[in-house]
Amino acid sequence: MNFLTIFARNLKQGPQTEAFPLGPAFTPERLRGRIEFKAESCEGCRICERVCPANAIRFAKTPDGMTFDCWHNTCVFCGNCEFYCPTDAIHQTNDWDLSHVNADKFDMVEHGLIPNQKCVECGATALNTAPMVKNAKPPLSTEEYTELRARCPKCRAKYLKNRKVPA
Amino acid sequence: MGLIPDFKKIATRSPWIYRINAGSCNGCDVEMATTALIPRYDIERLGCQYCGSPKHADIVLISGPLTVRVKDAVLRMYEEIPDPKVTVAVGVCPISGGIFRESYAVLAPIDQYIPIDVNVPGCPPRPQAIIAGVAKAIAIWRERL
Amino acid sequence: MSNQIAILLAVLLFPGGVFALAFGLAMKGVDRRVAARLQSRVGPPLLQPFFDIIKLGFKRTMVPAAANETVFLYTPLVGVVSMLLAAALVPITSVYAPDAAIGNLLVLLYLLMIPGIVLMIAGSASGSPYGAIGFSREMALMIAYEGPLVLIAAAVAIRTGMGMGGWATFSLNDIIAYQQTHGSFLFDPVMWPAVAAFCFFYPANLGIVPFDIPEAETEVLEGPLLEYSGPVLALFKIMSALKKVVVLSLGIALFFPAAPAGIVGGFLVWLVKMAVLMLVGITAVRLSMGRMRIDQAFVFFLKWPLLLAVASLAVVVVV
Repeated sequence: MNFLTIFARNLKQGPQTEAFPLGPAFTPERLRGRIEFKAESCEGCRICERVCPANAIRFAKTPDGMTFDCWHNTCVFCGNCEFYCPTDAIHQTNDWDLSHVNADKFDMVEHGLIPNQKCVECGATALNTAPMVKNAKPPLSTEEYTELRARCPKCRAKYLKNRKVPA
Repeated sequence: MGLIPDFKKIATRSPWIYRINAGSCNGCDVEMATTALIPRYDIERLGCQYCGSPKHADIVLISGPLTVRVKDAVLRMYEEIPDPKVTVAVGVCPISGGIFRESYAVLAPIDQYIPIDVNVPGCPPRPQAIIAGVAKAIAIWRERL
Repeated sequence: MSNQIAILLAVLLFPGGVFALAFGLAMKGVDRRVAARLQSRVGPPLLQPFFDIIKLGFKRTMVPAAANETVFLYTPLVGVVSMLLAAALVPITSVYAPDAAIGNLLVLLYLLMIPGIVLMIAGSASGSPYGAIGFSREMALMIAYEGPLVLIAAAVAIRTGMGMGGWATFSLNDIIAYQQTHGSFLFDPVMWPAVAAFCFFYPANLGIVPFDIPEAETEVLEGPLLEYSGPVLALFKIMSALKKVVVLSLGIALFFPAAPAGIVGGFLVWLVKMAVLMLVGITAVRLSMGRMRIDQAFVFFLKWPLLLAVASLAVVVVV
């Protein structure tokens, strides 16, 4: 007679149904949803492009800089790109409401641009990427960081080599 | 007759859903099963019910990239479903091939063989995302009825 | 002439026709909603079966190439008509008494067999192998449950007839009149085996889990109904809704027709009895059991319900 107790309990507790779509849905904070790309934090290492299992992330060199495109209709929302990114430039939001009509199929793209800049030292055209300075000892101060960022990769290496480490 | 539009409005409150598995890994099929059977995501509130026969269906949920082996069966079953119908591609596999895009056995995207109306990306999409996609499909079906 | 007009009104308006259809679909809506609440879900709106039938009117009917078109399209009509006639035969105490010429339990038994036969013929006429499987399963199930039904009807008829000083009377009006004076058969210990056998019979007849084997199940892709779509499918749903009203009303008339005199009182009591019978007998049973296999169901019916029905007949004749 177990089912009678279950009926009584269900009637007393009321329905357990979530209110969606007639109300807001519960979304966990760490849900793996849509990708967000921050061009200012990107180092340009392209690790995310290499580890993406579905080849959804593509970088392309254009005259304006390097473009980033992630097509959400082939992304499998695995989280590899977020895991391997050294600077947290690419990360997953918890936005899951991505349904769309078929005509908008190719509009579900997260697009970003790392712009070109002129190096303040040698004048070459280089990408305005965040410098790869995680392992610098001691850590860079803010002025050093801005100086480093305004240089091309060759001048960045020179700057770091000449940086005198106070004892 | 002025009565027919009112009846049409009533008729749109009962969309019946049929699922086609076009070579899917069953991840999306599991999520589609939970939207109907689990008390938490009850889709019967919207009047939907999963029907056992393609001839009873109004909304078709397709999951899986169209594999070479299953293509004829899926196309034949798609023709069995009477018009007016709305097709929803569930998961990223039917939209673009998903993670299997570069395989030799996969004929994605499926909209080169079957006209798709709504896409629900995700791998697999959340049950709430599937319900949102079905709600969009019901709105489209309302126009077509 | 007025007799025939009365019968026609009974078939088309009350208690058959419009009333039985509306009541049957409303009962189905309540059943789905209560079932959902018992499963801690929200459930469809109460009028959902009406929406379903209306929607089916807008779809197009497709006839398979391998099907026999006339039989395919016209058999459901036969089923609906038979259930409309059956609904006009079942009496409701103090509210409606069928014409003595047609209100006969034997006629009702014949009419109750027709929906099962319609399902079988529809399954085989559709030309699909799933339809053939549904046809054979429905045939096996019908053989299984028609036996107890006939014996139960005989037991009730003999009990009433012998109580009224005769042999057996199959007139439904007499059965109800006898129970109004001598107490309902539900409280008569001699009739308890018959009541128990009826409780096993009606889930199989109405297609309720655990016995909804032939039609509308995900094992055989809905069996005989597989190839139907559009308004013809709506006819099947209408036939099933009407059958629910007829069989439950028959159960009330045969075993517990006690009701106060007066139309309003009698109708309200009938409504309450139908609601209770549906909630306990259909919803609770449907939710708490799994479906049986056809061989299990067949063997089960040949054991307990048949035994109970034979026992009830023997007891009624002897006592």
